[in-house]
Amino acid sequence: MSRKFTSIETKHYEERDALFAALPKLGRRDFLKVSAAAVAAAAGSGVRFFPTSFQPVTVANAATREPFTFAYVSDSHLYRKDLNDRFVRSILRAVDDVNHLDPKPDFILYGGDLAQLGKREELDLGAEILKNVQQPIRMMVGEHDWFLDMGARWRELFGEPTYSFDHKGVHFVVLMSVNEKDFWTPRGMTPEQRMGTVAGLDNGIQSRFEVGAPQREWLTNDLAKVSADTPVIVFSHSPLYKYYKNWNFWTEDADEVQAILKKFDHVTVIHGHTHQMLTNRIGNIDFHGLLSTAWPWPYAPEGLPKLTVQMSRPDPFNPNDGCGDGSAAVSADGLVDKVYNLWNRNPIEVTSGYLASNGVKSVPAMPNMKSF
Amino acid sequence: MIEHREPIGWKRGRARVAGIVGAGVLLTWSLVGVLNAETPASSAPKSADGGAVTAEQAKAVAERRRVETESPAKDAGAQKLAKGPHGALPVADQIMQIEKLGLTDSGEPPRGIDPLVWQSMVPKDNEPNAARIALGKKLYFDTRLSKDGTLACATCHDVSRSFTDRRPVSEGIADQLGQRNAPTTMNALFFQTQFLDGRAPTLEEQAKLPILNPIEMGQPSPEATIATIKDDAEYQRMFQAAYTRPVNYDDLARAIAAFERTLVFLDAPFDDFVAGDTSAISAKAAQGWILFNGKARCMTCHMLNPSNPLGTDDRFHNVGVSALKQDFEDLAGKALKALHGKEGQEGLEAVDRLALETNLSELGRFLVTKNRSDIGAFKTFQLRNIGITGPYMHDGSMQTLVDVMDNYNKGGETNPFLDGGIEPLALTDTEIENVVEFLNTLTDKRFAAEQRTETARQRAVAAKQRPFRDNALAMRKVLPFEARVMGTKEGAR
Amino acid sequence: MKRSQILFGLAVLVLAGGALQANADDPMVVQLCDGKTTTTVDKNAPKTKENGQKIAADLMAQWQRSHPEANWIATEREKHAIVEPADNKDVVGRTQGQSYGQVTDRDVLTWQRETLAMAVHGSTVFHSGDQLGSTIAVSCDMCHPDAANTHAETYPKFQPQLGRVALLRDMINWCIEHPVRGTKLEPDSPNMRALEAYIMAQRKGTAMNYGAR
Repeated sequence: MSRKFTSIETKHYEERDALFAALPKLGRRDFLKVSAAAVAAAAGSGVRFFPTSFQPVTVANAATREPFTFAYVSDSHLYRKDLNDRFVRSILRAVDDVNHLDPKPDFILYGGDLAQLGKREELDLGAEILKNVQQPIRMMVGEHDWFLDMGARWRELFGEPTYSFDHKGVHFVVLMSVNEKDFWTPRGMTPEQRMGTVAGLDNGIQSRFEVGAPQREWLTNDLAKVSADTPVIVFSHSPLYKYYKNWNFWTEDADEVQAILKKFDHVTVIHGHTHQMLTNRIGNIDFHGLLSTAWPWPYAPEGLPKLTVQMSRPDPFNPNDGCGDGSAAVSADGLVDKVYNLWNRNPIEVTSGYLASNGVKSVPAMPNMKSF
Repeated sequence: MIEHREPIGWKRGRARVAGIVGAGVLLTWSLVGVLNAETPASSAPKSADGGAVTAEQAKAVAERRRVETESPAKDAGAQKLAKGPHGALPVADQIMQIEKLGLTDSGEPPRGIDPLVWQSMVPKDNEPNAARIALGKKLYFDTRLSKDGTLACATCHDVSRSFTDRRPVSEGIADQLGQRNAPTTMNALFFQTQFLDGRAPTLEEQAKLPILNPIEMGQPSPEATIATIKDDAEYQRMFQAAYTRPVNYDDLARAIAAFERTLVFLDAPFDDFVAGDTSAISAKAAQGWILFNGKARCMTCHMLNPSNPLGTDDRFHNVGVSALKQDFEDLAGKALKALHGKEGQEGLEAVDRLALETNLSELGRFLVTKNRSDIGAFKTFQLRNIGITGPYMHDGSMQTLVDVMDNYNKGGETNPFLDGGIEPLALTDTEIENVVEFLNTLTDKRFAAEQRTETARQRAVAAKQRPFRDNALAMRKVLPFEARVMGTKEGAR
Repeated sequence: MKRSQILFGLAVLVLAGGALQANADDPMVVQLCDGKTTTTVDKNAPKTKENGQKIAADLMAQWQRSHPEANWIATEREKHAIVEPADNKDVVGRTQGQSYGQVTDRDVLTWQRETLAMAVHGSTVFHSGDQLGSTIAVSCDMCHPDAANTHAETYPKFQPQLGRVALLRDMINWCIEHPVRGTKLEPDSPNMRALEAYIMAQRKGTAMNYGAR
């Protein structure tokens, strides 16, 4: 019987059936690896996650790592509460969501743009709300947090924006990828004017985002000690590739950064700023966007990566539509399955298998109302 | 007999109703056997004809009964006439009342509805005609169709009580109470789906189910139902005249649907107002209409326009009413675990099994679609005749329209699946009054007297108690989710 | 103010200043012809064209900073790309002697400048929560950068949020009332007309397709 309400699970079944058909042909050792990977991947998923791809994968180091999950909240763009209550309600909703995840994620990533205009009152409000996140939190900075005081208050609250850490055999790097070449001094702008310029996504006066040479050097040194088969996950506010220049969906030195990452077997970049479901793959790097809690961006008129399955056009009546939070399941191999927890919609999972198959396997549900 | 006037005066006296019942709405029929009533059978105590209910269940039923009898939900008007079983007007009296309403019983499309649109709403195998409508009317009022002979459709969809029963939840066989409010059969024909969780795509399919629900009309099977009437010579004649077939269950449902398609009540003071008579509604109600379209944010879900006169978007939204129940989030968690714990079809069936064992009724549309986005979501009610079809919400938990407005004004009841379109509105008391006064202008003129009585009654109730009012939330001093996340105390009521 | 005007005024003042100086050691104050904007100059610096240009540029920058609205079209266009209107060069002429059909280059330029100005005005309102009357500091560009996702070519259409068929300006007003939480504009108000102009301008070249969702 054909079901009106199918989900991506249907596509998994086809894949699973194909796997089982192929299993008799595998030798015992390979079979054990495959089933172990599948079980590990499934175990790494929580109640909201769909089963991950059943593709057999190379599992050379699977035995030394355990799968885990982390969740994220991003792009909250807070004003003070008595000026804009909607944005506050949304970040509260996201914190409520991540606090109720079962099983609990290992940590929460905050994806940047906590404040809207970089004001102290905005950053402080965000910090106060994030104190209620029950799991450990890793902070990442966005341009809206930075360009009023060039990161002074951010550093006081959250420390240095660039850092790295290891977790369960995966090497994490957090970058400050929204540097801009100085456009404000020649124009004699005040800090407020500078921040206001950067705050406009389509404001052409600002410079394009970049990681910048000093940080690229830091990155090279940091990664020098990491072996090529270690899974690397990079948190960055700007996408670390070039999607649409006019909206700074763009990192000017993306090629250089990608070159530094090239030596690794597998890298995943998780980025903010774009406020939409966004998926890309360049060489050995998978790229996943984060949802905003505050508002959704439309898809850019050009440059959309082919692998991206769009999120359906949001309803302007619902301030939470096209927004949300989410999580990521990291397998024993360090592969990432990204879950978009879109409010008032079904969650959507974009798996590493989808990317590895170049968009053939585990295709997420297509929207019937796309951007146009 | 009241002359049936041009029902809607939107534009030059013509109403156009867009095709609503879409052929594309397919539902998972495997569930229908499980959820076979407005109140899912999963919530029923054990069978009404012998199996003992547990002490706990009996206590729950008694508690609901107490709440219901103590709530002032009985209609003052109907008390003038003797009550029949289950508080309904005796069917003979109901039939007399319905004659006075001047309904079209010849099978003509209702006046003011585009013939092409009408055609798209009527199944090809059930074109209305006088014979079918007459048969359906007889069946609608026939208590033989219930197992103990006390209930007909007209018991819970009572002509004298606005074609509903004016109770929070309905009472069925052996006085058992269900879990859901009975929608009115007035204008039900225009909905794209039937039941508050939309599990029946047509009136025909809807009619089949309450008869078989153990806590509603209690029949064990379609065959048992037919057995009660198949030897009736009058019915044999009428079935032949209507469908050229002997008495059978499918045609029984068709006939009831054909009768229900005559229950069009779209002739309200508001329609005169929109057609140009600015004095048809009060100034306060006119203000309410502006708020309805603007600050109160009603129009988007309660869509009201010449092509869709009901005031519904035919969609399902979680506005937080189910979250008023203590165990709602636990239930949701269990259901999601069942769904995702197994793969695919097994997951769906796991949810169905869970529904039988526990009380998942509050999960609403989710039980039909298994979409996480449908958890706690119920169909947007029609606003036509809303002034006289309380109590309100899917469980009848809101006594008055002021309660409903208070609930929306504070942003509904916060829960993880809340529709984000429900947000605090910062409406003042005057604005709430204006919207309520507007809503009362949507009642068909044939029920003007009932409306006047009900307006006064609801006003009196609201003057004494406003259980859903929360000014701090409404005025955005405290925000939804703030209490859950930061432990802020919710503000003064 | 045009650059050439400033240079001329500057030249006059420099000459006059040189004549009026009381004390040879005082720094030279160069004042603009508005009587307010000034800059100081080392009077021993060579009076080259280059140095003169620097002084003029400094005065110009100061004057512009204190008069942000003066070059509002250029200022806005520097921030936001605005699609240009049709240039109409192909209708220049008077081939059949008709009065209405008499079109000069000057006419075409006027039309173009006026039309563009309205779209630019719309862009300033579109990008400003204050000008939209937002009570929550939200502007249109937050969800619609460069007026993306506005679909001007699809109006009139049934707009579910309004529950009825809407024109572009109906939807603009709905957005002002709800996502922007401002007060609705009068349909013929300058700001509403400008907003429509800007939004339509950005969709230039897209086929008209009324009703499309």
